[in-house]
Amino acid sequence: MASEPATTVPLELEQEQRLIEEAQQGHLDAMRPILERYAAPLYGTVILPRLGDAASAEEVLRDTLATAVEKIRRFTWQGKSIYPWLRQIAINKVYDLHRQSKRSRRLADAMVHEIAVESDPASHADAQLIADQERRAHRDRIDVTLQQLQARYRSAIELRLIQELSREDCARRLGVTIGTFDVLLFRAVRAFRKHFGERAELPRTGDT
Amino acid sequence: MATQDDDNVARIPDPDVEPTASELAHARRFAELVDKTLSGRTPPAMSADDRALLEVATVIRAAHGSLELAPSQQRAVVEDALRQAISTPASAGRGQVTSIAEGRSRLRRRAPWIVAGTSTLVAAAAIALLWLRVPGPGDAARGNPVARGAEVPQEWISRSADALVGPIARDHAGDAGARIDAIFADRLDGFRTRRLARGGKR
Repeated sequence: MASEPATTVPLELEQEQRLIEEAQQGHLDAMRPILERYAAPLYGTVILPRLGDAASAEEVLRDTLATAVEKIRRFTWQGKSIYPWLRQIAINKVYDLHRQSKRSRRLADAMVHEIAVESDPASHADAQLIADQERRAHRDRIDVTLQQLQARYRSAIELRLIQELSREDCARRLGVTIGTFDVLLFRAVRAFRKHFGERAELPRTGDT
Repeated sequence: MATQDDDNVARIPDPDVEPTASELAHARRFAELVDKTLSGRTPPAMSADDRALLEVATVIRAAHGSLELAPSQQRAVVEDALRQAISTPASAGRGQVTSIAEGRSRLRRRAPWIVAGTSTLVAAAAIALLWLRVPGPGDAARGNPVARGAEVPQEWISRSADALVGPIARDHAGDAGARIDAIFADRLDGFRTRRLARGGKR
């Protein structure tokens, strides 16, 4: 078991290939460094932003990693990281969960759209690049949606959910009572949700 | 499934519009949920509307990097995932593991055949048993004590008590007790005969 945060463990492509080959020969424990390396980006940039629920995200991550180990024999090394393969498993799990639990229609629709756009098979970037791109893409989508909100709603979300200030501090910054700030945040999140869903319903371009 | 909030989401008032009492209460409840979520104590139970809104809030936070998997959680998830897929025998080193995933996969592939094979065997056994037990010409007599009457002593089988009691005259209709005593004595006599014939053994 690694004693340091897994994200600090460098894992070169050659090493990754060797570990995968070992795992494919039946030494499944060889997958451990790979799972430790990619658990964090899968959770933070693939699963959680699509689910919005930390507990479910953790479950999906666990399921994703277990599935990867079980199906490692089916993986074909193509000279690039295993991360896109893991990511696709995670996205499929998220999608299945959305379908099974019949979660919020708008949020689920947004996720379906996003899956189609981001599952570009032509992408050959390495794991870190993919994770960074995905993180930026999520943030851009959030920022674009925030820009569509009224200024006070946008401020409420930025102060409370992004800067994570206390309700009291948020209310003080906006010059309102705590009760009024609660209403502002409530309406702001609902408005965000509306615009986020609407964006997903726009005609798709470039996806199949 | 569309939530109630999905249906109401288009009707979001401007920031300066006074909230209704119900909106005020919902807003306070949501604020408390956000409070708990920010401190890592998300309640497991909440309404579908609240959950949907909280998911949106979490998506926003996740996109801005506010939510990372703690190293301890990450290690636990990896260990759990590996444990799901593999098991390490006590005598084996860390590099030598036995795949239960392969076993599970094999079992999953073979399960329909195993079930079908077992069902077929059970059905065949049942048919064979039925065939072996099909009554032959003598079985009717063996299974029916009355029909066996010709082969066993009279006192061993069920029989009419008419011979003992005879026709019951109207003025003796009330003597049922005496008739029953007579029948009981006769049957007891038969029982004793049978018992003695076996040397007292049951």
